[in-house]
Amino acid sequence: MGVMTHADAEASVDSVEPARWERAAALFVRWREGDSRAMDELVRLMTPPLWHVVRAYGLDHALAQDVVQTTWLTLVRRHESINDPQAVSGWLTMCARREAWRVGKQHRRADATEAESLEPHLPVHESAEQTAATDDESRRLWVAVGTLNERCQRLLRIVAFEDRPDYARIAEDLSMPIGSIGPTRQRCLAKLRAVLEGEGWRGDDDGE
Amino acid sequence: MENEDFAADAALFARMRRMWEEVDPMPADLVDRMVAAVAVEDLSREYALLTLVEGAMAAVRGEADTATLQFSDGTTTVLLHVTATEDGGRRVDGWVESTALAVRLVQGDREWSAEPGEHGRFAFDEVPPGVARLRLVVRDGAGDLRDFQTPQFEV
Repeated sequence: MGVMTHADAEASVDSVEPARWERAAALFVRWREGDSRAMDELVRLMTPPLWHVVRAYGLDHALAQDVVQTTWLTLVRRHESINDPQAVSGWLTMCARREAWRVGKQHRRADATEAESLEPHLPVHESAEQTAATDDESRRLWVAVGTLNERCQRLLRIVAFEDRPDYARIAEDLSMPIGSIGPTRQRCLAKLRAVLEGEGWRGDDDGE
Repeated sequence: MENEDFAADAALFARMRRMWEEVDPMPADLVDRMVAAVAVEDLSREYALLTLVEGAMAAVRGEADTATLQFSDGTTTVLLHVTATEDGGRRVDGWVESTALAVRLVQGDREWSAEPGEHGRFAFDEVPPGVARLRLVVRDGAGDLRDFQTPQFEV
C-alpha cells in the first residue's frame, strides 16, 4: 500500500461559478458516498470563510481556531443529521456561529475586564510587508466599518463571508433567531455607505 | 430589491471581504491543521499502515515496567513509550520525526486526541490498559500531509 497524500484542493474560493456553497455540497455528497479525500477538499474550501465568520464574534485567535475545529469535528460526527446535502455550507456557518456565540459568551463572563474584546477591532499585528500590501482602499473601508456599532460590524462580516443566497431559510430551518437579519443588514449597509460617502468614497459601482 | 442595488451591495460586500482578508488573515497553517484534525476523526478513512520495527506488542504489567515501540514505513517513524500510571492506567509518550498535525489513540470505540507539541512530541496522560492503535497525520518534508495508523498494540 502506498503512502497517501492529501490531494491539494483548489485554493481559490473566489471563483464565481459554481458558487462556493454548490462546490461544498458536491464535495460533501462525494464524501458521503465514500470518497474520503473529498472531505480534505471541503475543509480547504470552507475553513477560510469559517475563520472570518467566527472572528466576527470577537474571539481571539486561539479561541477562534478552536471553534473552527469544533465545527469540523461536529460535521464528521453528526453529518447524518443533515438531510439536505445542498445545505452543508449553511450548516457549517450556522454551527460555527452557534459555537462562536457560546464560547464568546462564556469567555466574556469569565474575564469581563480583559481587553480581549477590543482585539478583533484592531488590526492584528501585521508585518511591514502586510501593511504595505494593505491598500489604501481597504484601510479606509476598515476605518469606516470600525465606526459602526459592534452588532453591525459582526453582521456585515458574517454576511460578507456567507455566500449561501437563501441563508434566511436555513436560519429558519435551524430555528435561529435571526429573522430580522435582512432589514438589519440593510440598515448597517446604509450606515456604512453614509460614512464612506462622507469621506468621498466612490468605489461602490466597481465590483470584482 | 432592485437589481442595481443588489449588484452594488454585492460589490461592497466583495470589498469588505478583501478588507477583512487583509487586516485579519487566517493563520497560515490553519487549513492544514483542520484537514488533519478531521482526518483522524474520520473513521471511514483508509490509512497507510506503519509496521512494528522494534519492541514487543507485550503489555506493561506494573509500575516499574515500561515498553518502547517503534513503528515505521521506511520514511516516517513513530516512537512510543508506554508507562504505568499510579492509578493503574497507562501513559503513552510519543515522538514522530515529522511535524505531527493531529494524533489520536483509538481503543475499541473510545478515542483520545493528543495535542501535538514541539518537535513532534505528543502524550496521552492516562488511558486504560488494553489494545490500542495510533492514528496520525503528519506533514512530510515536501509539505504534503500524510496519514498513518499503527497496527494494534497493547498499552
